[in-house]
Amino acid sequence: MLAYTLRRLWQFVPTLAGVILLVFFLFNWVGGDPAYLLAGKISSPEMIANIRRQLGVDEPYAVQLWIFVKQVLSGDFGASWSTNERVAEIFATRLGPSLTVLVPLLVISTLLGMAAAMLVAYVRGSLTDRAVMVACTMGQSISILVYILVFQYVFAYQLGWFPVQGWGVAFMDNLLRYSVLAIIVGVAVSLAPDIRLYRTFFLDEINQDYVRTARAKGMSETRVMWVHVLRNAAIPIVTNVLLQLPGLLAGAFLIERFFGIPGIGREVILAVERSDFPIIKAVTVYVAIATMMVNLLADLLYKAIDPRVQLK
Amino acid sequence: MWPAARSLAIIALLAAPAAWAQPEAKILRVTFQAAETGFDPARVHDYYSSMIIEAIYDTLLTYDYLARPAKLVPNAAAMPEVSADGRTYIFRIRRGIYFADDPAFKGRKRELTAQDFAYSIRRFYDPKNRSPYAFLFTGKIVGLDELAARAKKSGRFEYDTPVAGLQTPDPYTLVIRLNQPDVNFGYVLAFPLTAGVAREVIEAYGDESPSHPVGSGPFLLKRYVRSSKIVLARNPSYRGKIWDFDPGDNARFKQIAERMQGKRLPAIDGVEISIMEETQSRWLAFQRAETDIEYQLWEVAPTYMTDDGRLKPEFVRRGIQLDRTVDPEVIYLFYNMQDKVGDAPNPVGGFSKERIALRRAIAMSYNIDDQIRIIRKGQAVRAQYPIPPGVGGYDPQYTSLIPYDPRAANALLDRYGYKKGSDGYRRQPNGEPLVIRYTSTPTERDRQFDELTKRSLDSIGIHMEIQKERFPEYLKAQKQCRVMMGHQAWIADYPDGDNFMQLLYGPNIHESNNACYDSPEFNRRYERSRQLHPGPERERLYHEMTRLMETETAWLLTDSRVRNSLQQPWVVGFTKHPVMHDEWLYIDLEPKPAY
Repeated sequence: MLAYTLRRLWQFVPTLAGVILLVFFLFNWVGGDPAYLLAGKISSPEMIANIRRQLGVDEPYAVQLWIFVKQVLSGDFGASWSTNERVAEIFATRLGPSLTVLVPLLVISTLLGMAAAMLVAYVRGSLTDRAVMVACTMGQSISILVYILVFQYVFAYQLGWFPVQGWGVAFMDNLLRYSVLAIIVGVAVSLAPDIRLYRTFFLDEINQDYVRTARAKGMSETRVMWVHVLRNAAIPIVTNVLLQLPGLLAGAFLIERFFGIPGIGREVILAVERSDFPIIKAVTVYVAIATMMVNLLADLLYKAIDPRVQLK
Repeated sequence: MWPAARSLAIIALLAAPAAWAQPEAKILRVTFQAAETGFDPARVHDYYSSMIIEAIYDTLLTYDYLARPAKLVPNAAAMPEVSADGRTYIFRIRRGIYFADDPAFKGRKRELTAQDFAYSIRRFYDPKNRSPYAFLFTGKIVGLDELAARAKKSGRFEYDTPVAGLQTPDPYTLVIRLNQPDVNFGYVLAFPLTAGVAREVIEAYGDESPSHPVGSGPFLLKRYVRSSKIVLARNPSYRGKIWDFDPGDNARFKQIAERMQGKRLPAIDGVEISIMEETQSRWLAFQRAETDIEYQLWEVAPTYMTDDGRLKPEFVRRGIQLDRTVDPEVIYLFYNMQDKVGDAPNPVGGFSKERIALRRAIAMSYNIDDQIRIIRKGQAVRAQYPIPPGVGGYDPQYTSLIPYDPRAANALLDRYGYKKGSDGYRRQPNGEPLVIRYTSTPTERDRQFDELTKRSLDSIGIHMEIQKERFPEYLKAQKQCRVMMGHQAWIADYPDGDNFMQLLYGPNIHESNNACYDSPEFNRRYERSRQLHPGPERERLYHEMTRLMETETAWLLTDSRVRNSLQQPWVVGFTKHPVMHDEWLYIDLEPKPAY
């Protein structure tokens, strides 16, 4: 397993190099010149030149790329161009709010999705199965924006169960007060695709020979489903859940914007609006590294869940 | 034992009502619709950061809260003594103004002095700060531009080198000498970003200074979660002010004065600002009384307002208050007036009769009423003059020469040889294809402008291409005179017409003159107007300049947006000032009803 892990880690290098090149060229070609934003309403060409010099964007592309590589290797992406806040500080302070929402969201949606998927897979072809599938298709076809608008209107405004938006200081206050509606929206959005996907995993396993054998040996249905089927279906489910996490961190910007959660997704959108390259660079590289690490972790978990799996 | 217990009980009973009677802290809750960038006055450029800076720091001068048009009044200094030649300003700083306590002061009370303002002004020249508002001072103060030039070469700004234009003979006197007389210089020193900062604070926090504001103003920063929550508390070191403003004949101002006159300021204990980018969140939060003032809800204005600009009865019944003011801004459609856009010929540029006719025809085909009705949802007024209401030099009687008249526009194009081809689109008088390239940013609002502009040009048979640029690239293209046609907005930095007229001044090409308009006649009048104080002579020049701009049709003025500020019933004394960024110092909160 150690050799496998080392080999996979070595494979990170070319992938990361590709990410660095892609981000660098995308930003330089389509990102816009940040100096014109930072220079304000009335700026002279000299001011623009001064800002470009300070940001280092007047350097030859090769020099800029080398600086970027050094930043990736050192993990120090400098400071935000628009707020002067250290990028590391931005991540340190925004990660907490993002995880406060995303971890419960992933846990709840995964558990609910697995339970519902196992149920409908068990009664496949029945009216319940078909009704759930139709509901999932409908649920999946509705935009997340609609979920946010409707849930915010109904649960926060009409019923007054939750604040419309906000974020406090104490972790428990944030988790139990400000995050709840955002989590509910996130679960509602992800439940439909999760059920559909997990159902196929369960159906694959239910039709396997070992299930038939277990039943023939007189094993109870509860044991067949919860011990044998669930264990084998868990492998692709774990992969799916883990792979969602890095993307969700940066991609949950809509939820974070509407509910006023000071998380990473919101910061990414701000950075894009402000052409704040240090933050964009850092987010892209971190998400790429996290995705690769999570992939590796998922592969290693396969082995832990199912000893038959061979890592090559 | 018993007597002691009895005594304790009596004390508790006496103390209890006092505890019950403890008034609830008056915390004003507002929202920003965009994130702030920081609170270091020399380093920020966004409106929302300036609001916080205005609440935390003191400027030399400020504005009368109720005077319209806006009027300068003393603040940290008395009104300046200005020399006869208009080049020397002497400010007498008030004694006894103290900064809020901060570890940078090492436990000492720190008084605000003339040196703080001199240091703050120098910071605008320091290239390291890359100050977006350096233009307020650039080229104006004797000796400072030379210092800035040296700093660009050496990489280090000399804060301690004496300069003739900025002197502090004693801690309470600031003498500023200008290269040229500037009648608007007082306004510059009322701009929140020119506030006085303490050098030891800036040096103590270094690059972190944007998140450690320490001022002598009415509030201090109590809690700060970037891009999410900003909590201000009353500054215990603040000297205080008494609410004492003349409401004039304005009925609403009279109501405000009746309730606020004589109150000690700030009347509120703090301000809690939440960053809420989404309109729906702000609107629902306001309706749920989670916020006290909403500064702008354009998108949902039809939900709470009638077509004639009043609150709908259901909101009036709830006691919601509406403050309706026209923003000190103009929105305009501009043409690139240069002969070439980059290396390519510019079909709308130049001063030949044909080109003027083309620009005029495009302007006459553009339906401003549709822009106000559809894009602004009725929340804007037609702009006739380059200077908006509330700004010195505004003329409410002025009427634009350019009517909306597509038929006449078509006739004008026919007359000047813009013949239609077989594809139904017009060609240039020399027979070459005529394609107008209109540039905008990829936002939902700009898409609406694209459609309206395209429809206008279609109505006169002109082929328009839309070029999309991200906002920084759009700014860059404007400054490099590479935008053939586009929309632009300008909001007042200070309440004087000069701030708007300079947008058309030839030497400001590559800076703020995005039409790249260079008319010797206009330039001559503008230079003359810069020497004059507001008055009939300057008004006459502004009229002539505006007529000239219209005749040559460098811009089509479209509208100025109306700001509808909603307030909960318990907010007292609020009205949107045309220039000041926030009004938190001048308002009060009454107890909220228990629901």
